[in-house]
Amino acid sequence: MSYDIAIIGGGIMGCATALRLAEGGMHPIVLDQGDLGQGASGVNAGTLSLQIKRVQLMPYALRGHDLWAQMGDAVGFHKSGGYTLAFNAREAELLTERQTLKAEAGAPIEFVSNAQLRRAAPNLTQNVVAASYCAEDGYANSSLTGQYYRGRLQDAGIAYRTHSPVTAIDKTTAFELATPQGTVRAKRLLLAAGAWLKPVAAMLGVDLPVQARVNTVSVTERMPPLMSSVIGHATGLLTMKQKANGTVLIGGGWQGRGTPQDGRGTVASDTLRPNLALAQYAVPSLGSARVLRSWTGFEANVPDFYPLAGALPHVAGAYVLGCVRGGYTIGPYISRLMGDFILGQEPELPLFDPGRAYTKEPT
Amino acid sequence: MIRLVPNHASKIKRRDKVGFTFDGLRLEGRRGESLAAALLQAGHLNLRTAPFGDAPARGAFCHMGICQECAVRIEGRTVEACRTELTDGLVVERVS
Amino acid sequence: MSGDYDVAIVGAGPAGGNAALAAAQHGLRVLLLDEQPAAGGQVWRAKSSAILAAPATEESTAGTSLRNRLAQSSVTHLSGARVWQMSQDDGWKLEVLQGGSSETYTAKKLVLATGAREYVQPVPGWTTPGVIGLAGATALFKQNLRAPGQRTVVCGTGPLVFYVASEIRRLGGTVAAVITPNARMDWACATPALLHRPALLARGALWVADLKLAGVPIYWQHAVTGVDGDTEVTAVEFAPLSHDWTPEASRVVIRADSLCLGNGLIPQIEAAQMLGVPLTHDAHLGGWVPRAAPDGVTDVAGLYLCGDGAGIRGAEAAVHQGTLTGLRIAADMGFDTSTARDSSRALWARAARFGRAMTALSIPRAGLARLSKDDTVVCRCEGITKAGITQEITHGAGSCNAVKSGLRAGMGPCGGKFCQTAVAQIICTETGQDVAQVAPPTARPPLCPVPLDAAAGAFDYHALPIPKPAPL
Ligand SMILES: Cc1cc2nc3c(=O)[nH]c(=O)nc-3n(C[C@H](O)[C@@H](O)[C@H](O)COP(=O)(O)OP(=O)(O)OC[C@H]3O[C@@H](n4cnc5c(N)ncnc54)[C@H](O)[C@@H]3O)c2cc1C
Ligand SMILES: Cc1cc2nc3c(=O)[nH]c(=O)nc-3n(C[C@H](O)[C@H](O)[C@H](O)COP(=O)(O)OP(=O)(O)OC[C@H]3O[C@@H](n4cnc5c(N)ncnc54)[C@H](O)[C@@H]3O)c2cc1C
Ligand code: FES
Repeated sequence: MSYDIAIIGGGIMGCATALRLAEGGMHPIVLDQGDLGQGASGVNAGTLSLQIKRVQLMPYALRGHDLWAQMGDAVGFHKSGGYTLAFNAREAELLTERQTLKAEAGAPIEFVSNAQLRRAAPNLTQNVVAASYCAEDGYANSSLTGQYYRGRLQDAGIAYRTHSPVTAIDKTTAFELATPQGTVRAKRLLLAAGAWLKPVAAMLGVDLPVQARVNTVSVTERMPPLMSSVIGHATGLLTMKQKANGTVLIGGGWQGRGTPQDGRGTVASDTLRPNLALAQYAVPSLGSARVLRSWTGFEANVPDFYPLAGALPHVAGAYVLGCVRGGYTIGPYISRLMGDFILGQEPELPLFDPGRAYTKEPT
Repeated sequence: MIRLVPNHASKIKRRDKVGFTFDGLRLEGRRGESLAAALLQAGHLNLRTAPFGDAPARGAFCHMGICQECAVRIEGRTVEACRTELTDGLVVERVS
Repeated sequence: MSGDYDVAIVGAGPAGGNAALAAAQHGLRVLLLDEQPAAGGQVWRAKSSAILAAPATEESTAGTSLRNRLAQSSVTHLSGARVWQMSQDDGWKLEVLQGGSSETYTAKKLVLATGAREYVQPVPGWTTPGVIGLAGATALFKQNLRAPGQRTVVCGTGPLVFYVASEIRRLGGTVAAVITPNARMDWACATPALLHRPALLARGALWVADLKLAGVPIYWQHAVTGVDGDTEVTAVEFAPLSHDWTPEASRVVIRADSLCLGNGLIPQIEAAQMLGVPLTHDAHLGGWVPRAAPDGVTDVAGLYLCGDGAGIRGAEAAVHQGTLTGLRIAADMGFDTSTARDSSRALWARAARFGRAMTALSIPRAGLARLSKDDTVVCRCEGITKAGITQEITHGAGSCNAVKSGLRAGMGPCGGKFCQTAVAQIICTETGQDVAQVAPPTARPPLCPVPLDAAAGAFDYHALPIPKPAPL
């Protein structure tokens, strides 16, 4: 059987685009080398924070937030509000400069006084010198990504295959994808392989300048209530939230080791320890919590740190979607735009041409 | 009665008894034994309430520091009772 | 960072302890780490300081001997030292929790001798306080010389069930019944292996004869099917098993206040898994085992494995594999140890054959899974039932990782160490896969829960190496 489009990668980008394409009448198939949502989409920190989004991506993030609210409980969505903290004058300056620009880009971010902060978040350190707040911020539970999209794909009657790594791609009149379970044929092709985009694009002879970061996340055991909002740091190097079950999730993009090609990322104690120290500095009583698990995931980016979203250069009928900073937050929305584009419709907001020069800011 | 496996209970010499509290109850145990063993000996097998479910009582299970079922609070910290040595005056609380 | 060693060894049981001694004999600087208060591992676990005097046992004598030899050697043994993270650069770096703080140690070679834990098939009521692991009971005996209750039912496979029953009697407790899924015939099949170890055969025969004399009923080819009581055990229910260990309809109920329950040992593979040692499945070695040669060599340069953590072969095999591994490391560091290795390897091979025969008695048979009912809690930490897991699988979660993500089975404080074998078993039942096709979930650090402030360590905020922020 031949599909209208084959999607390589069952992360948030691949699955959400498949749903949009099916809405538009196409018959897609999603292929993943592992289970659905076990890549970055299933292991990320789950922060849905406008305060850590790039200014240029704010319109996408704002619309993304609306979609998360609609997904609701099934993905563990909570609009908790979020504080971003500065602990010294240099960080305060950074906070003011960055959050002002983000507010101008449309995020409802305000600066809050220490007194306001104490009242709202009494367990925070006394060492805060400046703070901003965004009521729109919140989080979802990324562990549920696979379960959620599996259900959505099934409900929409969309074909998917797990544990089916694509090992070679042949382009004749259609695309022929080699997998250990046999060849899959499709008229078009979407590459949504996350941090593995480079080797996958190389199967078509295309060199994408994709690199992978190895982000670290940790979780504690259940704790009594310590914080009710997302807590961030002016540099972006801490994101923290306490889930409804009492566990505290600590992220911030500290780098572990490994490459997507090895298949394994590993936690590095020389970055884990300062990450946890920063968390403890922000909420001192967290010091007595036991850390149960730390892990890493691969986050892809290109040199200008803007998304790859559009037609794959040089290969007619092939598209690519990935490398979105804050891609969990923005994923559901940018995937709609991508779906519309493939369906031949004008996307509501512009995409990000993968054929661009990566040296300057896109306009 | 003939026993092939002797009863050694009376041949075991233990250290002095010390007092400790479990959720405010005054109990006694032997200095240096595991807190899980001391609680067991004092008749307290039910150490904690699991955070869910309709049969939530839990007690020491693996006795080797893995299962975390014997978790109790001491000085504001969660510790495994099976890996904690009993000391005089230890104040032990249930994890809430 | 404290001390740079030639070899760091995680686990001071028969395997790790003997690896340490063998390596130290060749002048290597050896660091031996164990979370227990003294060396000995599980089989030779030391008595707590609460015991001033007690009659010696075979295990306590062997443990004392190991502890004495270590004390007289040049080995640096850190007790109460819990290794929670390891990484490799030039050499190995270990993060070690000692008391309330964490220290870093470095070494050129790393040996994992982390031993085993046990598998307990979930049955209704197995979470009731008073139900403890069968192997876990031996830890209680050896360390604290206490029986698990006043009237104990002992249920499990292999020789351990008789050892536990006899130890309860030795400590002055009462055994209400001994229940074992094994049939007498299973033991008849193991006899050739046992004949090579007459001392053990005699010991086992004595345990059984003593139970008989004392009038303790032994139920062959039976298993516990449920536990009564909410906050404490009041009674234990059991049933005869068919040949494949499917419980039959009839039930027997016996009054008891405690239950020791186990279904064999499984290797503690998480440390090896995290460091990238490939796994293979071998039911005769306890399930998933990291690939290692008899002399401990693995696919990861500078990393060695020995003892039950590399496959359940028992304490004697652990001794010889430990020695062999220590000698191999000495050889890898330039010492000629080939003659000594040849004799250790021969001793290991013999002991390992016996160990496999004993492990075979515990290989779960197909019917065992039926002991878990739909509403039986499988993941104790998160309270997830068999029905919940079955549903997740029928909805398309085909791997341990997928079940873990979707349900949190394995995300609680024990890190899945007591549920993942059962989760894999349910996946097999639902999808028709063989156990050897269902890989364990990805292992993640820390190896045990670590207080956040200890992991973070003492720090000065302004000296934290905070990287450049991401582009605006
Ligand atoms: C609870 C239990 C009781 C047992 N009792 C018996 C028995 O009575 N008779 C018998 O024949 N067999 C028994 N066994 C089987 C046992 O596996 C033996 O075959 C033998 O102890 C194996 O020796 P080993 O050196 O490989 O591992 P072990 O003796 O298990 O030694 C491993 C050591 O590693 C330590 N360790 C593990 N992880 C870490 C870490 N992250 N940081 C620091 N230290 C760590 C442990 O504390 C342990 O001391 C028992 C097994 C278990 C699990
Ligand atoms: C640890 C971490 C924390 C993060 N925290 C946040 C956060 O808090 N908030 C936020 O908004 N964003 C966060 N992100 C970013 C976000 O997770 C990613 O941008 C987003 O999930 C990327 O989705 P994706 O579908 O492109 O990639 P992935 O989810 O990685 O999906 C790619 C899929 O492709 C599959 N694949 C690869 N090669 C092949 C092949 N050859 N054949 C078949 N399948 C293949 C992979 O198995 C994988 O499932 C974080 C990222 C990481 C790693
Ligand atoms: S009884 Fe399992 S950790 Fe203490």
